[in-house]
Amino acid sequence: MKLPYSLFSRRAFLNSLIGGWVAALGAAFISPLVKYILPPTPEPDQVSLPLAGLKDLAAGSVQGFAWGNKPGLLKKAEDGSFIAFVGVCTHLDCNVTYITEQKRFYCACHKGWYDENGINVAGPPPSPLRRLDVSVEGDALIVRKQA
Amino acid sequence: MKNLRAWFEERLGLDAVTGFLEKKEVPCHKYTILYYTGSSILFFLGIQIVTGVLLAFYYQPTLAEANASVARIATEMPLGWLIRSVHSWSATFMIALVFVHLLGVALTKAYRKPREATWITGALLLAASLASGFTGYLLPWDELSLAATKVGTNLPKSIPIVGAWLTGIMRAGDDVTGDTLSRFFIFHVSVLPLALVAILGVHLFLVQRHGMSVPLEEERKGGKGPVLPFWPNFAYREAGVWLILLGLLVTIAVFFAPGLGPRADLMAPAPEGIKPEWYFLFMFQTLKLFPGRILGLNGEMVAVLVMIAGMGLVAFLPFLDDRPAERKGKIITGLVWAGLAYAVAMSIWSLL
Repeated sequence: MKLPYSLFSRRAFLNSLIGGWVAALGAAFISPLVKYILPPTPEPDQVSLPLAGLKDLAAGSVQGFAWGNKPGLLKKAEDGSFIAFVGVCTHLDCNVTYITEQKRFYCACHKGWYDENGINVAGPPPSPLRRLDVSVEGDALIVRKQA
Repeated sequence: MKNLRAWFEERLGLDAVTGFLEKKEVPCHKYTILYYTGSSILFFLGIQIVTGVLLAFYYQPTLAEANASVARIATEMPLGWLIRSVHSWSATFMIALVFVHLLGVALTKAYRKPREATWITGALLLAASLASGFTGYLLPWDELSLAATKVGTNLPKSIPIVGAWLTGIMRAGDDVTGDTLSRFFIFHVSVLPLALVAILGVHLFLVQRHGMSVPLEEERKGGKGPVLPFWPNFAYREAGVWLILLGLLVTIAVFFAPGLGPRADLMAPAPEGIKPEWYFLFMFQTLKLFPGRILGLNGEMVAVLVMIAGMGLVAFLPFLDDRPAERKGKIITGLVWAGLAYAVAMSIWSLL
């Protein structure tokens, strides 16, 4: 079917061609910049803690370790086993602390509380603290991402 | 759409600017190509600002971390090496074009009345650009950059009366230390760019105020020569030039990324073969040639004073060349060529 008139002018066609080309060129330059601005900050696959350094940790108390750029919290249960958390509040990312006397984790930013197993019990936190897997291998304690 | 335009126009009144740009004309003659140098410098300045901001995201201006953070940018950050390389090469392209722009203006005598103030703001822009290059050179904090900065900041010392004081201000004390690094960093990323952009505003305003200058020989022909509308004809041509320059810049940056020497040690002896950036080589070589003592005076002091006098002559060239069309003007054109030949010869000599 031949139209009696053109739907858009030659000028509009050429302008959109140039505009599209410039936009594509811009995208080609901006996408690597975005990659640079957002570098990958991967979590560690595992962290190894020598058991010798944990000898003195009393049952029921907590010791910190570095989980990548985040604080990790290693808790020695009453039966001598270990459990580990990412010590970051699930509400708005503040670091939590363990209050030994109350057997609870506490986030000071908005008064969030977790029980000794990391379950959110009071305040704004929407979900439990993130758990990490702990296993003993040789003379070290290996902390891994939960499968 | 029309309402939106009217809404903005009522508040911003930008029609005066667009109206001006629509009417702006660029004269066509033998030297029209020189008009592209100014906008190309702007283009590279834009690249410097963007890549500079990106580098500053990860750079840490401290004695302990400066060198390591540059290494981290170059090795760990996605495409960090390329951004650093583009920043370094774009500085070279920009300064090279600044020199071409300056020579073009000097040789076509575009600085003649009433454009003297435009020239002086241009000279200030040159100073700010060179100072940016000098301060940026220290930031990777490797052996070469430390040695070059020690030499560079030592030079003002030989200026009588104010010299020691100037060196102290540049170095934050008697010696180049971590405080010098902080100082160079804030000048490189804040003070100099702000000054540059402010002076550039005046420079660009004056260029628009007076319109594009026409070379003397064209002016003598009288009448209005052929012109090209700035928008869109000339602007599209400039965009084409920018595109070519961008391709050239990125290609060179990919294949010739700058290296990074070992972390500077304030107590270590100077490394072999220290050299400033290429645009300071002719001054570097001049200094080497001056003997220790000249007529009982300190040779370095004489050299530095001669250089300052040279810079003064350049900055006030429009006032020296007050009769550009006459014999005096021709002599001054000859001197500009001689100055260029001197700078090129000295630079090459220093590389031998």
